[in-house]
Amino acid sequence: MDLEDDTTVFATLKSFNSFISRPDPPQRLSEQAAAGAGLQMQYKRSMELLEAAEKLHSKNQYLQLDQEKRQMELSHKRARFELEKAASDSARDFEREVDRNQELLGRIKRLEEREAESAKSQSEQVEANRALRKKLEGLTQKLEERDSTLETANQTISALKDEIRELKQKIQNQDATISTQTLENQALEEQLDLQRRKYQEVSQLCQSLQSAQSSCSEHIIKIKELERRLALQEQDVVMVRTMKSEVARVPDMDKELRRLREDNAYLRESRENSSLLKEEVEGLRRKLERMERTKEELVNMELEKERLCEKLQAWENLGQSTGLNIRKPEDLSREVIQIQQREIALKEQNYTLTSRVRTVERSQSELQGELAQQRSKALEEQKKRESQDALVRRLQKRVLLLTKERDGMRSILESYDSELAPTEYSPQLTKRLREAEDILQKTQSHHAEMEVQLTKAQEETGALKLQLQTVELELESVKKQQASAAESNSLVTKEEVSTLRLKIEDLEAERQRLEEQNSILEMRLERHNLQGDYDPVKTQVLHFKMNPTSVAKQQRQQEVESLREEVIRLREHLRSLQDGGALVHAQDDSSMPGSSLCLSLPPSQEVLDLRKQMESSELRNQRLKEVFQRKIQEFRTVCYVLTGYQIDITTENQYRLTSVYAEHMDDSLLFKKGSSGSMQLMETEFSKTLGEMVALHLHHQKSIPAFLSAVTLDLFSRQTAV
Amino acid sequence: MTSTLKGITLKGSAELVAEFFSFGINSILYQRGIYPPETFTRVTQYDMSLQLTTDVKLKNYLTNVVSQLKEWLFECTVQKLVLVITCLETNEVLERWQFDIECDKSAKESSAPREKSIKTIQDEIRSVIRQITATVTFLPLLESACSFDLLVYTDKDLVVPDRWEESGPQIISQSEEVRLRSFTTSIHKVNSMVAYKKTDSV
Repeated sequence: MDLEDDTTVFATLKSFNSFISRPDPPQRLSEQAAAGAGLQMQYKRSMELLEAAEKLHSKNQYLQLDQEKRQMELSHKRARFELEKAASDSARDFEREVDRNQELLGRIKRLEEREAESAKSQSEQVEANRALRKKLEGLTQKLEERDSTLETANQTISALKDEIRELKQKIQNQDATISTQTLENQALEEQLDLQRRKYQEVSQLCQSLQSAQSSCSEHIIKIKELERRLALQEQDVVMVRTMKSEVARVPDMDKELRRLREDNAYLRESRENSSLLKEEVEGLRRKLERMERTKEELVNMELEKERLCEKLQAWENLGQSTGLNIRKPEDLSREVIQIQQREIALKEQNYTLTSRVRTVERSQSELQGELAQQRSKALEEQKKRESQDALVRRLQKRVLLLTKERDGMRSILESYDSELAPTEYSPQLTKRLREAEDILQKTQSHHAEMEVQLTKAQEETGALKLQLQTVELELESVKKQQASAAESNSLVTKEEVSTLRLKIEDLEAERQRLEEQNSILEMRLERHNLQGDYDPVKTQVLHFKMNPTSVAKQQRQQEVESLREEVIRLREHLRSLQDGGALVHAQDDSSMPGSSLCLSLPPSQEVLDLRKQMESSELRNQRLKEVFQRKIQEFRTVCYVLTGYQIDITTENQYRLTSVYAEHMDDSLLFKKGSSGSMQLMETEFSKTLGEMVALHLHHQKSIPAFLSAVTLDLFSRQTAV
Repeated sequence: MTSTLKGITLKGSAELVAEFFSFGINSILYQRGIYPPETFTRVTQYDMSLQLTTDVKLKNYLTNVVSQLKEWLFECTVQKLVLVITCLETNEVLERWQFDIECDKSAKESSAPREKSIKTIQDEIRSVIRQITATVTFLPLLESACSFDLLVYTDKDLVVPDRWEESGPQIISQSEEVRLRSFTTSIHKVNSMVAYKKTDSV
């Protein structure tokens, strides 16, 4: 199929081949069957030729086909390549298209939604439109109604204008009548003048009459006066008579007077007495008060006395219990003082004794020291004595020795003397002897001296011993004394001391308590002092009489009093008004409800003044209004006459101009004042007919006065032409 | 001022103290608003600016009282000066400014001047007045209309002069007291304090 599709040539060729090849076998069979060799040969040759030719041809064709095939392949490749390319492109395109499609689908959806929405809105709008149409129709109906009413109004306006015209005419007629009436008036005034003159004459006559009447009345008064005088005189006469009778009574009166004077004097005295008595009474009363007070005090005192008696009893009991002569606190204090004094004395004694003991001890110690010294001295002396004794013994021994020696020597010497010639050796020996004797004498003297010294020392030691003994005795005596003193002290005063000690402790405790109290009281006092308290015994508090506080208080008092008075006054006033004003209320409520209050309270001068001022100002206002109205009317008429236009203000910022020469009553021009002050012509029925002039004067020349003048001229010319 | 730079005499001391009272009372009246502030004028004293009243009646009253006080200071018979602030509506005592005066009576006998310079005394006085000014911060506000009175505590044997009379001590019920500074001229010692009514709200 592909081949056929690709090339038509192949198709024809094959069909040809097939065409050729198909009838081949039967031919061959027929030829073989029928057969001739020649023919067969020829046929074979031709067939071979044909085959060769066909082979060549097919070769060619093959080559050609090969080439073609190559070309075809190439082109096929190319085409495939291109196709691939195209395929990829188309794939890409396809993708894009798919995307787009999706987008578009989305868009379509959105659009569908929108469409739905729009359809909804459309339907709504359609409904709204319908409603609006209905409204419009209603409005148009209303408008038409309005138009109709406007037209009716216009008609009424025109009718009214006609009426105004008629009224004007009537006014003119009335003016005429007024002028005639003024004429009549003048005539009447003249008549009035005449009447006045007549009246003056009459009044003069009246005056004369009055003067006559007044003189008459004066006369009458005089007469009356005279009559009164007469009556007075008659009274005088009566009085004189009475006086006479009284004068007759005068001496009696004098007597009485004297008596009365005496009485008076007596009464005066008695009054003085009475005043004295009063004073006395006062004094007595005071005394009584004092007495009462003293009585009260007495009672108090008695109570106190009883209390004190009880206390005293307690004290006495205490005194009895204690055994001391305590009857009163004074006694106690005296006793305490005595005890204290005794204690003090005892203390003093004690002190003196202790001091004495101390001195004695001191002296004892001194003496002991001395004793020791003395003992040591004695020992020394003894030692000395012993040494001296030893020395004496030695010396005695030596003396013995020496005497023995001397004796020996003397014997030797005597032997020598006997043996030898004394002449040779004797001087020498005698010398020696003498020397020895001297020495002996010296030693003997020394001995004696020593012995003397010894005795002296012994004497001394004896004296010292004596002293020592005396001192010891003294010491003992002192010790004894001391012991006795201590014993006596302890025996006598121990109890007293203990009681006194207790008392002292109590007193000390009390003292501490009192000190505390004192400090508390001092603190309190300080606090009170801070708060401004003072001791009335020592201090007085003064202040200036006219100090600001009292002045302010007085002022306040006065103010309060004045206010109170005012309140009372007002209350009374109110009461009187409530009583009397009820009738006035009843009368005035119907006619003047506002003035009832004014009537009830007499208006003060200020209120009256203010009312007057108000009235005058109101009057002035009224007058001003009238004047303004008149002036405005005048101004309007002048404008109407001069410009030929009547200007009316229909509504705010709208002015209607009606010409004098208007053909119809409702021919008018309507101007509106813009925000910038410029005037704009509004369309009316009349202005529609003035298209030309509007175009010329307003649009072209832009001048309203020119337009108005042109309109005036036009209307005027139309009227005159008619 | 009779005292010289050397020292201070009894007379000079009395005058100094009286002057202090004059200025002190004025500044209390100004600070506590007993009189409207526009009736006060500014003056310079003790190296500070103080308020002095211009109200004629008040001035008169103060000069009367202060001159009498000076006399008593000279005689050393005055013990206290008290400025009492009373509420006019309820007649209740709201504040008491108390100046205790301690007189050195020995100065009456010996006229020898004491050695204390006026400058130091005035410094002390200035600090007292400063403290008076500062008390406004803690004293309760005087809401109603108030008036003041000056009480002088003197010795009992003093003869009450004309235009003066005895008075009560005007003690505040339930008061709080604050001690202020004191100063001394070495003859007169002035202890100042203020007592005020306790308010329930505080």
